Amino acid sequence: MVAVACGGDDSSSSNSSPTETAAPTDSGAPATDAPAEETPVTGGTLRVGLEADVDGLNPTASALAVAGLTMASAVFDPLFTFDVDGNAVPYLAESIEPSADFMVWTMKLRAGVVFHDGTPLTTDAVIKQFEITRNDPLVGLAVKPYYPETDAVVKIDDLTMEFHPKEANQYFPTALTAQLGYIASPTWLDALVADPTLEQQPVGTGPFQFDSRTEDSVTKFVRNDNWWGTDIIGPTYLDAIEFYPVTDPDTRTEMIQNDELDILHTTDTNQFQTYRDDPTLVTSIDDNGEEYFLMINTAKAPFDDIRVRKALALATDRQGYYDLFNSGEGRMADQMFTPDSPYFNADVTQEGNDPEGAAALVAEYCGENPVDDAGVAQCTDGKVNMEYQWSGPSVLATRIADFYNENWKASFNVTFDEKSQADNIQEAALGIYNVVGWRQFGAENPGDDRVWLECRNIGGISLNWPRFCDEARDALIMEIANPASPDERVGSIQKLVQNLHDSYAYVFMTHSSWAIVSTDKVHGNCDRKSPEGNALVCSINGRMFFQSTWLSS
Amino acid sequence: MSNTSVTAAPEDIVVPKKLGFGFWLCVIWVGLMAFIAIFASVLPLKSPTANFLNSAQGRPPYAPSWSHWFGTDKDARDVFSRSMYGARISLTVGFTAITAGFLIGGTLGVISGYYKGWIDRISSFGFIVLLSFPSLVLAILLTSLIDRNLLTVSLVLGLLSIAPVGRLARAATLQYADREFVLAARQIGATNRRIIIKEILPNVAIPMSSLALLGMAVAVVAEGGLAFLGFSVQKGITWGGLIQLGSDASKTLQNAPWIAFFPILMLFLTVLSLNFAGDRLRTFFDVKETTL
Amino acid sequence: MRYYVQRVALAILLLLAVSMLTFGALNILGDPLFNILGPVAGDVNNPDSIKMIALAKKEFSLDRSLPVRYFIWLSDFVRGDFGVTFSSTGQPPVSGVISERLPRTISLVFLAQMFAVLVSIPWAIIAAARAGKISDRISTINAFFLVAMPNFAIAVILKFVFSLKLGWTPITYMADDPLRSRLFQLLLPALTIGLPVAAVYQRLLRTDLITTLQQDFILLARTKGLSKTRILFVHALRPSLFSFITVVGLNTGALIGGSIVAETVFRIPGIGSTLVESIFRNDFPVVLAIVMIVASAFVVINLLVDFAYTLIDPRVRR
Repeated sequence: MVAVACGGDDSSSSNSSPTETAAPTDSGAPATDAPAEETPVTGGTLRVGLEADVDGLNPTASALAVAGLTMASAVFDPLFTFDVDGNAVPYLAESIEPSADFMVWTMKLRAGVVFHDGTPLTTDAVIKQFEITRNDPLVGLAVKPYYPETDAVVKIDDLTMEFHPKEANQYFPTALTAQLGYIASPTWLDALVADPTLEQQPVGTGPFQFDSRTEDSVTKFVRNDNWWGTDIIGPTYLDAIEFYPVTDPDTRTEMIQNDELDILHTTDTNQFQTYRDDPTLVTSIDDNGEEYFLMINTAKAPFDDIRVRKALALATDRQGYYDLFNSGEGRMADQMFTPDSPYFNADVTQEGNDPEGAAALVAEYCGENPVDDAGVAQCTDGKVNMEYQWSGPSVLATRIADFYNENWKASFNVTFDEKSQADNIQEAALGIYNVVGWRQFGAENPGDDRVWLECRNIGGISLNWPRFCDEARDALIMEIANPASPDERVGSIQKLVQNLHDSYAYVFMTHSSWAIVSTDKVHGNCDRKSPEGNALVCSINGRMFFQSTWLSS
Repeated sequence: MSNTSVTAAPEDIVVPKKLGFGFWLCVIWVGLMAFIAIFASVLPLKSPTANFLNSAQGRPPYAPSWSHWFGTDKDARDVFSRSMYGARISLTVGFTAITAGFLIGGTLGVISGYYKGWIDRISSFGFIVLLSFPSLVLAILLTSLIDRNLLTVSLVLGLLSIAPVGRLARAATLQYADREFVLAARQIGATNRRIIIKEILPNVAIPMSSLALLGMAVAVVAEGGLAFLGFSVQKGITWGGLIQLGSDASKTLQNAPWIAFFPILMLFLTVLSLNFAGDRLRTFFDVKETTL
Repeated sequence: MRYYVQRVALAILLLLAVSMLTFGALNILGDPLFNILGPVAGDVNNPDSIKMIALAKKEFSLDRSLPVRYFIWLSDFVRGDFGVTFSSTGQPPVSGVISERLPRTISLVFLAQMFAVLVSIPWAIIAAARAGKISDRISTINAFFLVAMPNFAIAVILKFVFSLKLGWTPITYMADDPLRSRLFQLLLPALTIGLPVAAVYQRLLRTDLITTLQQDFILLARTKGLSKTRILFVHALRPSLFSFITVVGLNTGALIGGSIVAETVFRIPGIGSTLVESIFRNDFPVVLAIVMIVASAFVVINLLVDFAYTLIDPRVRR
């Protein structure tokens, strides 16, 4: 599982903060592609436009967001990965077997795999990485609660090990498909202790290896000719990949249209029509991953009272938000699944657009003259005092804040806080906020979203950002991890959706749309295969993969 | 030498004896803006924050029309109303800033120029330090470190005007401090304070008055620049902020130029009026260009 | 000689004062730990986090007192070591950021200044020659208008007309392009800064020229029968040029400020836009380095102009 999530708005330019979820989605194949008979050509440098740069590519410590995960996917291989049917299939790992009660998982690595620096891949490397990750104060938060203190991973031999998760989880391998499953060279991890600047020069097992980097300018990887997968999976065609962080979505669009980029990703829905109208570009849009919502801190007054949370939802003009800020793209969200998903619960809709209802609830709440623990009154002049914050500076985020103000001012006295991205994330993590816009969920295995939802994930830094603890919810999550049958699992997930709704800790707004756009010279993005021949997903929540990509001239 | 000569004949450079029609036109405009700024909430203006979404017209921004004189922005907010409300912060900051600058800088300058000695040395050094920075850089630096509301932003800009105002006040005071009538007053036994108030200030006030208008123009522009970059009053409508909203995305500027251009027009006319009126005052009083 | 030494000493004092004030303000009012550590920086109840926080503080010298930190920074700075950015790896070093971006700003300011000077001199001469006539009044009004238009408004208008509507200039600045196209991309930003400045120069020079033209020696030249042009360019312009050059030099500071706006609107990665970005990111070493560079440039230019002036007019040395 991967740590920390994104704060920020949907349809926006880079507002996004550290990392994303382990959120594979089945991205449809691009609308048109080169005819399958065209033979791949070896050679060329792929220029990739990313929405942000990264500080470092250390799977054990770096908070990796979409951009970071895209880069990481080139130099690291995950132990497991998702196929187009949503199953976690072996990749760097050769196989995995559960015990009958799903409490012990025996994993076998492939023989003969070497890291880019020549170190062999062994059980010791995986265990070392696991322990370092677990002890990291940030990334470790996604790992620690799920394993016992000792013997979490036990070595059997140089290629075999046993995982001992705390609870039964029939879908355990899905946790090893993202950051936790990207295995880095132990030699490199040791060197990092002495020289942290090496974080920018990752050493993994991947089809590409680090070549050079100029921060905020370009990071270059070149083909790894000793890649273990060449014989088992297939050749890597690109000579090199150059990653360009381009934070402004307009600029990214211009660059690909001026042939300065070959492929890019974006969540800025304003750009989508431009891409579609351009016949030289191949565009693939997917909104089955994350959702954008208003996130409410349930541990702090006034939003510790469910009436106030509900009032906020009722006061929000969700339709208006969608009309103004989504440019007609994507879909409004009532819950964390789209109607395409088998887990979609048709009985759950997100309330909104009901100012009178909001006023009634606020009147009832304020009528009790509520105060918080410090004795500070929560209402002034019959309206609830609250704070809304966001990551700035961003013209779009400010417009959105102004819009929310219009919605809420009838029942709330809103204090607005534009904070630096750093401060915004910090305060969200530490629970020093009332309401913030956020992006989350969308894990291909919905059970993996548990890290944002369980009671055990509330702490100093809380991955359960709204700090909402509900034992019934935790019980449901256990059932989802270890169901009596797949059908029952679907039922449990749908109950979880209902539970999330009933907590009113989230006001769901829209499903985030990711567009992957490439020129017509780029081929093979969606031709990735696992060692066992499974077809693998094209992209996951904006994360792109390049092992099978090739360029025509 | 009656043909067009290189030397400009003296009659051509005439110090106008009256302020002129242009001057009063400018004063009226500034007065109008001030009136709107003060009474905006009671005037029959549309709400500046409401979203006038109109599905019949499609997606915003809507072009200028009878219902929206200046059109709407991308969130269907009325640009005319917002441009009027923008005058509030922009003018208030400009006015407060130059007032603060005058009060503090002017006082410091007059005292330094009159008493001279170590007071003069210290404040002159202070002025030079303040002037050692390009003012925009300093303004950005200071506003980024504080809570940005109307008062604090005005004070920051006021701080920046202390040095130029102070230097002018000092120079003007120096000019008069050694004049005969001052010496005469001292002979009679008038206190320093009396001399400053009765003799120096009235004379210094003349060059300073034109500086007041010019200084306010500079402050309004400075606030606009800060707002444009995102460093002005945090939750408020400003001309600079409106211009930023209208020009930040190339597409917006290209397809809906009215969002940025109307605030630009308002700002331009206001600054032009202040500049012109200030300049007219200066030529009227025949002030030489002192060290500014 | 004493005068020069005094002025240099004053300049150094000035820079020290600027550095102290900036350093103090930045350090008191901001906390860079987040850039280095992420949310861990605020997780003060967790023993693991506390260890990491202590380590980071030690590495970036944040655990020492303010005056000590100031001296550490100062001694590094004068040796050319601007320190490291506040990020988890300290990469890239601040000097790297600066050396990459400073040349762009310098080119921009230089282009703007060149444009302003080349335009304002002929403009002023023509206006002075036709002083009082319609064309002069028109050009005065033009100058007024330009000065009243804030530079960010000019930038938006220029971008709208020339980049978006006419498509004559590119919209984005590409760092990898060859020199010629990069200079072309700097054209609009240079105009943005240079146009209002040209207007200011023109007004000053025109006034100066008119005053000079009223002097007796001009009258003498006229009676000697020298041509109008010769009088203008050779006899009138030269004395006026001194104060002109002074103003040009002193105005460089305003140009640097203008570059912040131009770089932001036209998205040029120079130190102006970097300053704004770094402030938003609480990346203090970068902010400090840029502020010091700008202040130093400003002070040095003022110094040079002062010295040049004393060579021309010895009375000033008093």
